Amino acid sequence: MTDKAKLLIIDDEEIVLDSCLQILAGGDYEIATANNGESGLKMLPDFLPDLIFVDLKMPGISGFEVLNKVHEFDPTIVTIVITGFATVSSAVDAMKEGAFDFLPKPFTPDELRLITRRGLEKRKLELETIALRREREMMREHFAAIVSHELKSPLNAVQQNLFVLEDELSTQLSDEQKGKFERAKSRISDLMKLIHTWLRVIKADIDEIQTTFQPNRVEPLITKAIENVENQAVRKNIEISTSIKEPLNMVNGDEGTLVEALVNIIGNAVKYSPMGSQVLITAESEDDEIIISVADSGVGIPKEDLPYIFNDFYIAGSAPKESRGSGLGLALTRRIIEAHYGSVSVDSEPGKGSTFIICLPAVSISSSQ
Amino acid sequence: MESKTKILIIDDDPDYVEGIKSILEKADYEVEAVYNPEDGFNTLKSGHYDLLLLDIMMGRGAEGVMVARKISKDPVLRETPTLIITGIREQIAYLFPGQPMHPHFLPVDELIEKPVEPDLLLEKVSTLLRLAEERKAESGTE
Repeated sequence: MTDKAKLLIIDDEEIVLDSCLQILAGGDYEIATANNGESGLKMLPDFLPDLIFVDLKMPGISGFEVLNKVHEFDPTIVTIVITGFATVSSAVDAMKEGAFDFLPKPFTPDELRLITRRGLEKRKLELETIALRREREMMREHFAAIVSHELKSPLNAVQQNLFVLEDELSTQLSDEQKGKFERAKSRISDLMKLIHTWLRVIKADIDEIQTTFQPNRVEPLITKAIENVENQAVRKNIEISTSIKEPLNMVNGDEGTLVEALVNIIGNAVKYSPMGSQVLITAESEDDEIIISVADSGVGIPKEDLPYIFNDFYIAGSAPKESRGSGLGLALTRRIIEAHYGSVSVDSEPGKGSTFIICLPAVSISSSQ
Repeated sequence: MESKTKILIIDDDPDYVEGIKSILEKADYEVEAVYNPEDGFNTLKSGHYDLLLLDIMMGRGAEGVMVARKISKDPVLRETPTLIITGIREQIAYLFPGQPMHPHFLPVDELIEKPVEPDLLLEKVSTLLRLAEERKAESGTE
């Protein structure tokens, strides 16, 4: 606030207005006065005060009503009530209506100066908080837009050229070579989807995915997720087995991100498991929930790391250096699951393995019909 | 003999342009490309093109939108059928919150997402050319 702070004083007693003006005259304020609620409220849009003093008891509309209207107009304007009948109850009522403080009549000049300063400090903080919050939102959105452009542009160019090459060579390629094109194209498209998912998480509103929720069968989600990590598993000769207890209710959600969450967890299980071991995925209904567990016999997670593994960019010290990731996978997973009103937890014993457990609310049979 | 259909591409990513250019050339279109919005608009103005491919996200933001706005203000150029290319659909939603996914910048335009399958690109291009042809015929008979 580089401009002078603006004060509005609303009181029906001329003498109060005059003495306020005199007392505050030395301060660096711009002061306006009104002798009833209606004319005070009318001044709001043009004067845009930072701080308003309101007498509670006035002819015409009451101080309480003025408070309400002021807060409707702009909730960041700081209001202080002047009360002639300094009963605690009316002051408390006013505070309940959102007044910042109260000033009982009669008051000394110092009391008025002090309460004015405090009120303006409060206003300054309010405005700063709002500005910071807005800035943070903008940075987030801006970041998402830039990142999406910068990350996706090169991929777009690669993919576009692959499309063309494949098209131009289509008559000359062997099936095996066509397969290689398919593989390259599908990996790039996976990567683009991944960028999309990350962006959705970075953007302020991951809850956006909730607008397109629909009932999903759990088994295909698991199957799709397994397909995504199959290559990794084959390379390490790890067997991924599933045990699904039917009947299994559906889950309400977004297929893409749910698969993403499962890929992260199953992918970790494969990554941290020894060659030739097994990863077991189970799914069952329990009360109103679907419980999906992913168990591995890998390196496990030390107790001291457990509380942090779902945080952004956290990489446990026990993770083998060659298989460390971005530290975003589990954070992302947690956010996805929480956006689905579910939870994710882990049981782990170093050297023996980890079991990740995802709980998701089930679509009840009756409501899904 | 009728000359080839001329297409102008305005997109700031030469590698990407290389990809779509050869699809179009293979389909016997004559293709020119310009890699920044200003030169793109000037080129469009100075020559005659049957169709425009316009990238929305250029430079430090949605500079393609500016180009589209400039084109729409020109009574002659605005009749150019235009295929608007966007990196991701979300960018459109981000730029124009609350608007339908296909923001009609020009009388004959269409939206397409990067990367685009060759067949889809050719289909969109020929549809736009046909629509523009029909529009021209309609205004001619009035």
